[in-house]
Amino acid sequence: MSTTSVRYIVDDVDAAIEFYRGRLGFELQMHPDPAFAMLTRGDLRLVLVSPVGPDHPGGGSRPMPDGTTQQPGGWNRIMLQVADLEGSIEELRPQGVRFRNEIVTGIGTKQILVQDPAGNVVELFEPIRSEARLNT
Amino acid sequence: MIPDPLDGLQLPRVPIEPRRAFADALWRRIAGSEEDVAQSATVRYFVGDLDEAIAFYRDRLGFEEELHPSPTFAMLYRGDLRLLLSVPGEPHALADGTLPEPGGWNRISLRVSDLYATVAALRAEGVTFRREIAAGVAVDTALVADPSGNLVELFEPRAGYHERTTTEE
Repeated sequence: MSTTSVRYIVDDVDAAIEFYRGRLGFELQMHPDPAFAMLTRGDLRLVLVSPVGPDHPGGGSRPMPDGTTQQPGGWNRIMLQVADLEGSIEELRPQGVRFRNEIVTGIGTKQILVQDPAGNVVELFEPIRSEARLNT
Repeated sequence: MIPDPLDGLQLPRVPIEPRRAFADALWRRIAGSEEDVAQSATVRYFVGDLDEAIAFYRDRLGFEEELHPSPTFAMLYRGDLRLLLSVPGEPHALADGTLPEPGGWNRISLRVSDLYATVAALRAEGVTFRREIAAGVAVDTALVADPSGNLVELFEPRAGYHERTTTEE
């Protein structure tokens, strides 16, 4: 059972599915509407939605009551643990994946920011301390 | 059997609890590198005021504080979700100096069993809603804003709701 659910706003759901499935190892669970897809990667459920009008049946990406539309982007992100960060980057770069920065070594992890086609960020990290490691 | 000369010293035998980090590292060496790829979920949110954010996620949304080792970083858990709260600063700056900011529309979604009651209870505590309850295809949702303006989606399943029932295929 997916216990964690995250919603990302994208401008093109099909391009996003291709990216998350083809590059980052997500599995497509459902894509019942052009504006909605549900993917999983382990315990993480990622819901991809594109902005819809106020009358669209999908509730998650409708405008706010004041008319504000939801947009991709921002800095908040999911983090995916990898066993070998340099190796992952070497695999992704030739596939045309865009990175927002270079590897940063922090206190608990080495990390890098990947951009999805809509401009959302995904952080890849490799633990360098046991406290930063996720246990299966 | 040859007696161990050290036995004659009558040294006390003190049981030593292995340090957790050491035990984990040893276990990983024994178990092999496949242990390295975890499947649990982690999300990082940027916040302006860390203490205020910790209090919000802990007291309003049921997270537990796991680590708070510095004024700019905290690690919280809610079930299997690990939420990292970071204050924007130099370690997070891009090469051109750009600093991350709170906000945006991407968000964690937390399942609740009674959305109306949850929204009413949170509103009574002064929690800000970016949007009140909206009915979707398979869920009702509401958007909470944390003190820094990050969104958290609360959802309650309706008829037709789908969730993967096992992680094994």
